[in-house]
Amino acid sequence: MNNVLTASVVDEEAPMSLAELARACRAQEEELRVWVFEGVLEPLGGSPPEWRFTGASLRRARVALTLTRELELNPPGVALALELMDEIEALKASLRRR
Amino acid sequence: MDFKDYYKTLGVARDASPDDIRNAYRKLARKFHPDVSKEPDAETRFKEIGEASEVLRDPEKRAAYDVAATQWGRQQAAGSAPGGKSRDFQPPPGWNTGFEFNGRGDDEAFAGVDHSDFFEALFGRARAGRGAGARPAEGPMRGQDHHAKVMVTLEDAYRGAQRSVSLRMPAHDEQGRAVVRERTLDVNIPKGIREGQHLRLAGQGGPGRGDGAAGDLFLEISFEPHPRFRVDGRDVYLDLPLAPWEAALGASVSAGTPDGDVELSIPPNSVAGRKLRLRGRGIPGTQAGDLYVVLSVALPPAVDAPSRAAYEAFGAAFDFDPRVPRKG
Repeated sequence: MNNVLTASVVDEEAPMSLAELARACRAQEEELRVWVFEGVLEPLGGSPPEWRFTGASLRRARVALTLTRELELNPPGVALALELMDEIEALKASLRRR
Repeated sequence: MDFKDYYKTLGVARDASPDDIRNAYRKLARKFHPDVSKEPDAETRFKEIGEASEVLRDPEKRAAYDVAATQWGRQQAAGSAPGGKSRDFQPPPGWNTGFEFNGRGDDEAFAGVDHSDFFEALFGRARAGRGAGARPAEGPMRGQDHHAKVMVTLEDAYRGAQRSVSLRMPAHDEQGRAVVRERTLDVNIPKGIREGQHLRLAGQGGPGRGDGAAGDLFLEISFEPHPRFRVDGRDVYLDLPLAPWEAALGASVSAGTPDGDVELSIPPNSVAGRKLRLRGRGIPGTQAGDLYVVLSVALPPAVDAPSRAAYEAFGAAFDFDPRVPRKG
């Protein structure tokens, strides 16, 4: 098994559908839908069948899932925790720019 | 193998109620959750807490664990005499007679979690995902998608690279039993990759059942910390120290970028903290990032007569008080 594998980057050019994202992070589509309405995930496209998710959503969805399953947070709690994590990330990034 | 005291891991008493255990777990999980914790060993601790909770929150597993723990305690007491036994734990033969693990309960939340050798000695290998034990094998089913992280260097992102990734993955053996297999994949890291992006390797996830297709493997990219460059999305930052005269008079200096050395023209009267932007010299791509050179000024120490004289002449040439705010 020594052939080199070529990967595709999950970005705007090769995004994921709702079903693919649900499968990739082992979540229910319904959970993902709730997170989109809470603003945790921001897909491209207007309605669920048209939603397209990028790698950033995949990461956020997986964090949202651990927060839900292991810390028993509800969707608004998940949204708040992720917002705070974003803020910390932005502060760290501004430190890196100095 | 070391004996693991799950009660100690969660900081609860032997006779703790299910509620006590649940609360202790939640508090610790919050503290050590790898996405929020600042503790250096958060990931390891989080796993230990998860494992302890998995056992103690499941009545069957807790009862079985208590039996093993009591026997271990007795064995330790007996072995504490001179020339006593080592502290190596082996589950006593037949210790679990009468217990049956049916793989329901909390297992789903822990599917894919790495268990310790201790856990596996007591409760068997992790079932590969929730399907293997609980669901009857009927009809084709698509394999699960798997996730892993891969570390690359900033230089990889500039040039593209090939990386070997070692993965431990649950799989099925010929008899359909769940086993953990180690495998190494050689993966092309595309030029222009950024931290936090995901690579998708179609068909490299868990095997499907029946005619079901294999799942996909997702690799999350993180960058190894670089001694000289800082990365923010597509942009790259680099510190460039200048001598005071270079900053004041302007200079042409050489700076090492991830792309190789470049000759930079420093404008006169540059101050520390000034950023010079090299457009499109950040991480490459259709929307290439920028490279920022952050200037700083290093002062040579006054260590002998000539250098002291130079600083004195320097001071005499200016009517300058850095404590007085300057105009403009």
